[in-house]
Order: sequence, then structure tokens, then C-alpha cells
Amino acid sequence: MQSKQLSDSHGIRRWAAVLLLGGCCHPFVARAALDDTDRVAVLEQKLDQSLRLIGELSARVRDLETQVAAQNSQAVTAGGPALGGAAPESQTATEQRLVAVEQTVTQIAAGAGQRAEDTGLPLHGFADVGVGNHNANFPEHKGAAVGSLDFFLTPRLGTRTRALFELNFETAEDGAIGVDLERAQIGYQFSDSATVWLGRFHTPYGYYNTAFHHGQQIATSLRRPRFLQFEDQGGILPAHTVGAWLTGSERIGDARLTYDFYVGNSQRITGRSLDMNNPGNAHGSAIVGGNVGVLLGGALDGLKLGVHAFTTRIEDQDLIPAYVTRVRSYGAYAVYDTDRWEHIAEFYVFDDENLSGPAGSHRSEAGFIQLGYRAGRSVPYARFERAALQQSDNFFAAQHSGTSYHRYALGIRFDLDLKSALKLELAQTQDSDRDFISYDEALLQYAIRF
Amino acid sequence: MYARSMKTLSAALLFVASVTTHAADLYVICNPGVSIAAADVRDVFLGDKQFSGTVKLLPLDNAGAQQMFLQTVLKMDAAKYSTAWTKKSFRDGLNPPAVAGSDAEALAYVKRTPGACSYISLAAPTGVVVIAKY
Repeated sequence: MQSKQLSDSHGIRRWAAVLLLGGCCHPFVARAALDDTDRVAVLEQKLDQSLRLIGELSARVRDLETQVAAQNSQAVTAGGPALGGAAPESQTATEQRLVAVEQTVTQIAAGAGQRAEDTGLPLHGFADVGVGNHNANFPEHKGAAVGSLDFFLTPRLGTRTRALFELNFETAEDGAIGVDLERAQIGYQFSDSATVWLGRFHTPYGYYNTAFHHGQQIATSLRRPRFLQFEDQGGILPAHTVGAWLTGSERIGDARLTYDFYVGNSQRITGRSLDMNNPGNAHGSAIVGGNVGVLLGGALDGLKLGVHAFTTRIEDQDLIPAYVTRVRSYGAYAVYDTDRWEHIAEFYVFDDENLSGPAGSHRSEAGFIQLGYRAGRSVPYARFERAALQQSDNFFAAQHSGTSYHRYALGIRFDLDLKSALKLELAQTQDSDRDFISYDEALLQYAIRF
Repeated sequence: MYARSMKTLSAALLFVASVTTHAADLYVICNPGVSIAAADVRDVFLGDKQFSGTVKLLPLDNAGAQQMFLQTVLKMDAAKYSTAWTKKSFRDGLNPPAVAGSDAEALAYVKRTPGACSYISLAAPTGVVVIAKY
């Protein structure tokens, strides 16, 4: 019996040691997972508290052992019958001590769970570099090229206030490194189905522009479709808008309905490229647009269908007096994104009207279809894109990149790891008006996210 | 001797079975102020559902049970989950759930934080509501 009590005593010590060790170490493990290096000071404070607790609990365990030893001694002195009474008392005391230790460890664990949402400033980003027989964005250049370095911040604010800022460093056609405040939007979230953003945002037409934009690492293909490029890299659409944007989604059974409505400064053409008029415009005209989509579920899980439209009044300020064009664009898109497939198709129609200069209404079209197959870490893809743009339309005639063209591309993306990808693309491009240029490309890109 | 061996073997098998059954359990828990359905769990942890009435939801991942949660509830692996959140953050300006290191930490956070939801591999004690058991 005595040996049993001694064994109990050792058992108590082992339990206490294990629990204390667990309680002591637990905050460190938890903190590491929380990914908040700026709370080292809090950790140190917790460590101090834990060490104090360890000291106190060690003293308690010593007291307990002393009491058990004293009881044993008394029992031995008193003879056999007394031992039978000491054992249950010791067991009860042990249980009480264990309960106390358990509560203490629970409290230590609870104290470790300080959350970060009130103080964190998450910083994310993308970067890419490449090499090819042509530059992916400026085909007149060859060789190695810096793509872009893109930072975006999503500060944790209040319950309903949200913010998103994106800074992008990219190489311009003349080799200069340009810095763009790509997005600067602050929003108020009324509910899951309604958030209002104010500021500069990615114009929510189609799918590609808001889904990937500068996030090259999360896009399957090596580059955007040419007509959807950024305004200063060959795009013909206003990829950014400065204004207000109402967006949200609502689940309807297995499906999810998404919508976007926006109004902002109408863009202008200057230097033969679109500019989004960050500070406002002189005449107060606006771009107004919307996008409604449905993300299907069940057997069609992964399929999203949508329609989009916008209208704006664009001034070509390279001319004096400026030509003005009423631009009306509408179209549709379909996306099928599953574990196995990634297919994207977008179609745009432009029913534009020259409001000054050579009069007339003009209809142009642009679109692309991209098919991708997810084969483990590799994603081979094929894309066809085409733009048939009326050169008598002031809006396209005024833009450096307002050329009709078609492009075939075959490529493969290979994920080196979770956050980096290599992409290879072979493409053939034919400009079908203006200079009728044709060129073949072999491009390699290394894209990361962080 | 044979009967005793069989008894021991049966006891061992029962023990293993009970441990295995227990290890497969996963409880999605929320602070008592949260009212969501089991069908909402996926949307909550992928950022598509952020409110329960007027209560802002605060999903918390639990590193100790995340693999089981992703496989069982979200039907995706860790890489896809990470990429989904990168896309979500980039498009919508949302931040992915913070990560607790253990059941105890997740439980403590959910108990004391209005709007919090997480998942644990232990039977849920008092002080939280169990949204679903897997």
C-alpha cells in the first residue's frame, strides 16, 4: 500500500509536469500559428505569467507530496488498518489537485488566444519576371523583362468598414518604372449582399478584369488577353474606374447570385491611351455600368454565367478641340472552374457613337475563349482571342492599341510550389488592320505571390 | 488461456475502435450569439457569408484539426484553400481566418468572442453552440 501511495505521488508529479509543460509550451505553439510577430511582447508577458504559475504549482505539488509522505508515515506508525483510510483521502486530494491544474492549463490556453484583427495590417503581393523573343506586353522589345511588382493591403478595420489599397510597380514601354495606385477603395459593408466602395477600383466588366488583374500568379495564362490589357499596356477598355461601386452576392438554393453596379468619372484619352481621370473630369460626365452573374451549384458546380454593360462619354484630349465618343459596351461571359477544368470565355460588343468629329455610329466586337486542364501541378491551356474594331470609331482610332487583331496561344503553367509558378506560352498574333503586323512569340514567365 | 487471450484481443480492438471513432469526430462550434445553419459553414470559412443577422462572423481556423476540416467539410486540400483565399483577398479585400494552434485555443476564442466560429476535434463543452458534427 505504501508503495502504491508513493507511486501515486510520482504519478501526481508526472501528471503535473506534463500538464505544466503543455501549459507552458502551448502559447508558443499557438502563437507561431497565428503569424503575428508583433506580439512577441505579449508572449513574453504570458511567459512570465506562465513561469509564475509553474512556480506556484510546483510549490503546491511539493506541499502535496509532503502531506502524502506525512500521511504515509502516520499510517506506518499506526499500523495496517490506518492505511486503508489514508488511501481514499490521498486519492481525493490528488483528484482535486489535478482538477486545479487542468483549470490552470485551460486558463493559460485561453489567454494565448489573443486575436489580431484589431491591429493587423496584412500585406500581400505578386511579382513576375519573364524572358522571350518578344516582350509579353510590348512586342517591339525582346529578351528578359521585369513584369510587375504588386502590393496590396487589406487593413483590418471595424466590423463593417473595409479598405483595399494596391500599389503596382511596372515597366513602361520606354523602360521607365512606373508606380500606379492601382486601387484605393474604402467601403462600408451593409450585409453579405451589399457593400459600397468609394475610390478607385477595378472596373467590374466581364470576369478576367476583377478576378486576376495584376495577380499574375493566380492566373493560369501568362498574360491577359490583349484587348483586356491595362490601359497603358495595350488595353482598349477602362480597366479602372474612380467612383462608387455597389457589390454583393446572395445565395439562392445551390446557386449564388452576384452583382455589381458602379458609377464614376468618365475616362479620357490622352497620349493615345485611356486615362481614368483620378482627380475627376472637367465636364462631369460619368461611366455607368453593371455586371450580374450566377454561380451555379449541384451538378453544375463551378460554372458561372454573367452579363455586363457600361456606357461612358470619352474625350480624346489629344485633339483640339477634343473629339467626344459615346461608348456603349455590353456582353456576356462564362467561366467553368473546377478541380479539373478552368475555362473562361468573354464577349464584348461596342455600339459607339461619335458625338464630334466624323459623325456616325459604329459596332465593334472583341472576345476570347481560354480552355485549361488541371493535371496535377501542370495546367496546359489554349486561348483564342479576337478584336474587330471599327477604325472609323473615334474611340478606337484614337488609341494606340485600338487595332483589330487575332491571337492563338498555347501554353502551360507549372506550379513549382504553392506560391510560385513557371509559365511557357507560344503565341501567334496577327493585326488585321492598320499595319497588318504579324509576329510569333515564345515567352517564359516566373510568377510568385506572397 | 485461449479465452483470456480472446478477451484481451477483443478489449484491445474495442479500444482502438473507440479511439478511431473519436478521432474522426469534428465539431463546428460558434459563439452562442451566432445563428447559422450547417449548410452555411462552407460559405463562412470561404468568406462568402460574413454576417449572421447583424453579427459579424469571425471564422477561426484550428491548425490542430484543419486538415480534417478541409477534407470533410470544404472538400479541398490546404493548397486549394490557400489559393481560394488569396483570390478572395485580392478581389474583395477580405482577410483569411486567423489560425489557432489547438482545440483549447480555438474553444477559448469562440467562447469569449461574439461572432466567432471554429472547429474542434473534442466533444464540445458548454459555452458554445455546436453548428454541425462530422
